[in-house]
Amino acid sequence: MSDFALEIENLTRTFGVRKALDGVSFNLKRGAFLSVFGPNGAGKTTLLRVLSTLAAPSRDSSVKVLGYDVVEDAVELREHIGVISHNPLLYPDLTADENLQFFADLYCLENPKERIDELLEAVELTHRRLDVVRGFSRGMVQRLALARTLLPSPELIFLDEPYSGLDPHASDILDSLIAGIREEHTFVMVSHDLEKGLSLCSDALILARGKVVLFEAAENIERDEFSRIFREAVGRGVS
Amino acid sequence: MQDERALPVSRKISSWRQFKAILRKDIVMELRTKEMLTSMGLYAILVLLIYYVALSQAGQGFDVTRIAGGLLLLAIVFTSMLGLNRSLVHEQDQGCLEALLLSPIDRPIIFFGKAVGNLIFLLLVQVFVVPLFYFIFLSGGMATEHTGPWWMVALALIVTSIGIAGVGTLLATMSVNTKGKDFILAVLFIPIMFPLLLVAVAALSAVITGDPEYVRIFWTMLGAAAVYDVIMISAAFALYEFILGA
Repeated sequence: MSDFALEIENLTRTFGVRKALDGVSFNLKRGAFLSVFGPNGAGKTTLLRVLSTLAAPSRDSSVKVLGYDVVEDAVELREHIGVISHNPLLYPDLTADENLQFFADLYCLENPKERIDELLEAVELTHRRLDVVRGFSRGMVQRLALARTLLPSPELIFLDEPYSGLDPHASDILDSLIAGIREEHTFVMVSHDLEKGLSLCSDALILARGKVVLFEAAENIERDEFSRIFREAVGRGVS
Repeated sequence: MQDERALPVSRKISSWRQFKAILRKDIVMELRTKEMLTSMGLYAILVLLIYYVALSQAGQGFDVTRIAGGLLLLAIVFTSMLGLNRSLVHEQDQGCLEALLLSPIDRPIIFFGKAVGNLIFLLLVQVFVVPLFYFIFLSGGMATEHTGPWWMVALALIVTSIGIAGVGTLLATMSVNTKGKDFILAVLFIPIMFPLLLVAVAALSAVITGDPEYVRIFWTMLGAAAVYDVIMISAAFALYEFILGA
């Protein structure tokens, strides 16, 4: 088994003539927490879509996630990854319980009921398990989305602006859940929030115009220097 | 959560379980919202009402049985387009289609789950529409008395509905991300369904008019419809992964 969760070499993805990702290359060790920064249109979401098998890279790219090729071994890879997006990826007309049961069936989990009970308790939604998701607040939906993601116990979790729209309570729950599973999982988080992203990460990546501007271990990052590079790359200050 | 891995999460991927999960989810959601069935049912009633208005001045000598097969099938085709669009729009809500695509599931299983769900809803609407059609157009003064057996009509509608659900699910998936998805679906759906509609109308008309040769015509046309179903559903099965990835 490879030591790397991500092995990316010359990752390119085009939309027509526009290159959303242009020769991106880096490796990320298992157990790391990578925060990806960049302006709108930098290619952050496209990077997550390629890594999570939702979009194919161009042919001359080599992209391995947890040792699986994202094109050749996509179905097997999907068993081992989870995605938390600003979109909850939940059915609003199903109850919390039905949503989790549905995804447990898609992942063919054995003993799903125990797992669902455990996760609903962890996200403090046991008392709302029989309510349809349409009636949930944004924070509750995001907590349930987290439970859905953790249901098959993925090794690698992609977070696409997970704190977007969360109230402080939901944000705290998300923080504590991430902290609780931080040791056993690899995370890749796309964020506009430098403070939050840098406080969580073991490695940081800045993308601009589809290219890697900086890829560095957090321990080597000097905050002022990082902010300067970030400002230069994205043309935006840091609050 | 103290230890997220305390409970071993074992699994054994089963396409049958995944198929059942998609089908059950669609049925539970539809029974809860009744969105598709209500809109399809109401739309079918409106189509029948328009037929009634259109035929109201046809005169005493007009035998509606000669065009009844075509009228019935048109009502079903129009109704099905409405339902097919809705079935995929549900998946677009809150990025649910993306959630399906992120699961370890072969794309053709998604196709079969959605197509069988669409077929069930289409047949349920027909259980309501066909008797209503018979009551309005074939049981009164506009119809002659030589209608063939009704099980043949039902069989022709089932075979046709299989084709509509299969091809329609593929085309609805193609059009769901486009602007003006209703228009795109119609533009793609009608030409591709054209051969099936032709043979299905021939089969239905032969039975409803009670043509002297109706048994032979019916089975010939039904055979052609079945061949169409097999070819098109096989093609949809093969293309679905490509369509979803495009």
